Amino acid sequence: MSRIRSLVAVSFLASIGFSTTVTAQEMISDTTARKQPLTTWGVQFEEFEYRYSDDDEELGVWNADAFYGTDELKVRLLTTGEYEIEEQAYETLENQLVGQIPISKFFDAKAGVRFDTPEGPDRTYALLGIAGLAPQWFEVDANLYVSKDGDSSAEIDAEYELLFTNYWILSATLDATVAFSEDEEIGVGKGLVSTETGLRLSYDLIDRAFSPYVGVVHERKYGDTADLAKAEGGGTEDWFAVIGARIAF
Amino acid sequence: MNVSKLLVAGVAFSMSAGAFAAGAHGGGHGASSGEPGKASEVARTITVEMYDNYYEPEEITVKPGETVRFVVENKGSLVHEFNIGTPAMHESHQKEMMMMVEHGVIQGGKLNHDMMNMDMGNGHSMKHDDPNSVLLEPGQSKEVVWKFSDKGNIEFACNVPGHYQSGMYGDVNFE
Amino acid sequence: MQGLVKASQPNSNEVQLGIKQMKIRLLTGLLTLLMPAMVMAGEYGLTVDRVKIDTGDFVKEGIGYNGASPGPVMRFKEGENVKINVTNNLDEMTSIHWHGLILPFDQDGVPGISFPGIKPGETFTYEFPIQQAGTYWFHSHSGFQEPDGAYGAIVIEPEGREPFRYDREYVVQLTDKHPHSGDRIMRNLKMMPDYYNREQQTVGEFFSDVSENGLMNTVRDRMAWGDMRMMKADVEDLQGFTGLINGKGPDQNWTGIFEPGERIRLRFINSSAMTYFDIRIPGLDMTVVQADGNNVQPVSVDEFRIGVAETYDVIVRPKDEQAYTIFAESMGRSGYARATLAPEEGMEAAVPKLREAARLTMADMGGMPGMDHGSMAGMDHGNMDMGSSEGVSGMDHSNMGSMDHSNMKGMDHSNMKGMDHSDMSGMDHGSMVMGKEGPSDPFYAKGSGLVPTAANGGKFLSYADLKAQDPLYEDREPTREIELRLTGNMERYTWSINGVKYEDADPIRLKYGERVRFKFVNETMMTHPMHLHGMWSILDVGAGQWNPIKHTVSVNPGTTVYMETEVDEPGQWAFHCHLSYHAAAGMFRKVIVEGGPESTQAKTEVIAEDGGEV
Repeated sequence: MSRIRSLVAVSFLASIGFSTTVTAQEMISDTTARKQPLTTWGVQFEEFEYRYSDDDEELGVWNADAFYGTDELKVRLLTTGEYEIEEQAYETLENQLVGQIPISKFFDAKAGVRFDTPEGPDRTYALLGIAGLAPQWFEVDANLYVSKDGDSSAEIDAEYELLFTNYWILSATLDATVAFSEDEEIGVGKGLVSTETGLRLSYDLIDRAFSPYVGVVHERKYGDTADLAKAEGGGTEDWFAVIGARIAF
Repeated sequence: MNVSKLLVAGVAFSMSAGAFAAGAHGGGHGASSGEPGKASEVARTITVEMYDNYYEPEEITVKPGETVRFVVENKGSLVHEFNIGTPAMHESHQKEMMMMVEHGVIQGGKLNHDMMNMDMGNGHSMKHDDPNSVLLEPGQSKEVVWKFSDKGNIEFACNVPGHYQSGMYGDVNFE
Repeated sequence: MQGLVKASQPNSNEVQLGIKQMKIRLLTGLLTLLMPAMVMAGEYGLTVDRVKIDTGDFVKEGIGYNGASPGPVMRFKEGENVKINVTNNLDEMTSIHWHGLILPFDQDGVPGISFPGIKPGETFTYEFPIQQAGTYWFHSHSGFQEPDGAYGAIVIEPEGREPFRYDREYVVQLTDKHPHSGDRIMRNLKMMPDYYNREQQTVGEFFSDVSENGLMNTVRDRMAWGDMRMMKADVEDLQGFTGLINGKGPDQNWTGIFEPGERIRLRFINSSAMTYFDIRIPGLDMTVVQADGNNVQPVSVDEFRIGVAETYDVIVRPKDEQAYTIFAESMGRSGYARATLAPEEGMEAAVPKLREAARLTMADMGGMPGMDHGSMAGMDHGNMDMGSSEGVSGMDHSNMGSMDHSNMKGMDHSNMKGMDHSDMSGMDHGSMVMGKEGPSDPFYAKGSGLVPTAANGGKFLSYADLKAQDPLYEDREPTREIELRLTGNMERYTWSINGVKYEDADPIRLKYGERVRFKFVNETMMTHPMHLHGMWSILDVGAGQWNPIKHTVSVNPGTTVYMETEVDEPGQWAFHCHLSYHAAAGMFRKVIVEGGPESTQAKTEVIAEDGGEV
């Protein structure tokens, strides 16, 4: 409390001088970051897991995306893949680069390209899609793909989270693909192609940045696609036990 | 004797018996603030000015048995009270004053006199007419003639809600 | 160490005084007595530094002043001219905003609006006259430096005496210190708006609701909220913080010493980034004597809620030789700050448990446009509190503004529309009504889940209790009304005013000399503490000339709140929600005051392009 106050006679003169300094100032226009659109980024691995199937198949699987942008426009890179550990080959490997804009309160529209480069033939598609939050808290992501050769297909992804507690979370996912034309080379038949259903119980260990989980995944092929798979000598249905983590940066 | 009188006044003043903490006035160690003084016995006059929300002076000194004429002037812009009593008396009086505010008798800088005189039933009203206190609107001035009895913990205080708590009281010291 | 660190070199005036200093000081003293125009000048120094912040729960890097966070308590005296040298020791731009102070706009410290900001290594000198008294605070207005620790308290001693008495005083400055940096928090909220929300409804809560309200009601309730894609639990965006009081976490237990019987003035300042606190001191009545630095007619309460950026001064009088806990529980009950008042260091009192997490109700959604209340009729069961349109209009203070208390004569409450009269006669305290529908407060939507109640069942302060002690302005009709809808989208974490974010918004233009009535309509489900820089916010509590003046006005979900501003300061000013991440997401405006005294008029016509960076 050693506040030394200097008593100074600042008289009328001084206070006039004071206000002149103020007057000399000019009004500025706001060019700060606050006046610019807020840019943000994020990287998330929705799935990053090891799968062990009922017929002893072992897979490394990820499903991730990274984005950069503003409320009005985001660029998003999505990548998903299944790595067959024994055969050291990518069963699936899919990358998307999309631009994303808001179209309603809860939904965004996406447009971009998709490159599939698994073991075997590659494919390139143009894609259009929507992603957002449907009523009753379903996260929905729906895409329409058209390949370079004109084969078209649609994919819908939905996810629902059930909170046992605020840290123990059960997430249910459903991924279904429908093809509008056959692409025999990659084993896709017309009609409902396949579904992947998953149930994962996670625990938020570090914020929402690292959440380990265990779960089960069921994959099934249908119709012509199933027939194609059978002809190749493969199965049409798999059950997996999974262990992995949801990761966000 | 004066204790019971105050008690009667208090009950009449209070709308519900519950609001009047039973026996608070007479409680303690026989402490009382004194009794209404006779004008003929006035030994001296003390002027107490009431501001928002404090008194000037904030303490006075009296002799036991002395009769003092207080000239109380409200120089603030809010309603204030000058009330001589023990802290316990003030505390129970504050409940009554809270009721006066809730019923619109005290409205910031105004007193609603119609409301004060209104019959609350059973012959009760919210008149503020105890001899140990005055309740003044801004600009008003009134007198209180008070005979101090024994030494005791006596304060003059404003019991308008919040005023006492924020420090609007003064100490009565005995010589 | 709460003391003020003065600039080390003597100011130029002192140097000039030289040997004759003493004589001149005497003369000055004499002149001060003779001439009211004489003013004192104080010179102060602040450095902006990188600091370590230890909350007891975690240690983090942050930003502080004079080597510490919070910074020093700046003590000014009403009537003095202050000169504050601020040296930026960071490697980024900085600024200091003097929150609540009335000063020339170019001293207000908002980069891009008041001035370009303070560059790394630079010293900027603020100079302004102190024209008010009370409790205020200062903080950086650059980026997320404030949530990162760049804040401190301001205490201004009045020229005259205070309208209340106290024997000692303490600043009690609260914050919500989070282990994450401000930038990280903003990014996480943008990525996942519920990133920090750990009070979401669970399966367990579903079943407990079922047992309380029945299966169908609970399912309907969940469906109604799910249909809106709104969370009842959306009370606090940012959880996981440690509440600090004067920089100390609950375990570090900041302690203020007192002697029994003393009157203590506690200057509460909420310097949180995001958190409202409900404050109580079990065992002590608190008499609120100031709000936002301005004296209010004293009101004794058991508990009060302090919005972000608000200040409340209370007087307590502990009579017993015992310790008392100052308990500040966050509005959503996700965290708390704790301190102690005790006759000696080391004494402590019991620390209460957190109460149950707050839940929004449909009433809090009442402000949302396009909400079809009709379709939800019949849902008024169990825990579903419907915000009927009546409840919302009950918040319309334009009705209340004209409410003459003399109408209450004869106890006829029938002409007071929109208020719950049936309960008023049994009303225990001021504005707080405990009816069959639960607690209510005219500043919350009727049936709101956010209406606070005192832990001991006593009096909880309401805005309606705040009345100016000595009105600063004469009451007059406003010249016009400006409607500001508080808007946002929780799922995208966008926040805006009238649906427009700051980046896309034109300034609000006011004319010097007018009195503007601002109508805040909260169309979001969150509470927004709206802060207008440079000019007072006269909060309409329905008390006419006794309406209190504030610098921060909290607007609860589903409510409409009015405030008036005497446009008496030229220049340009910031006007924003004081929740750090809402402001940064766009709930922010520039206000330009056109015209004014001739000396300042010239500058209002010049808009330079030099804007400055954050």
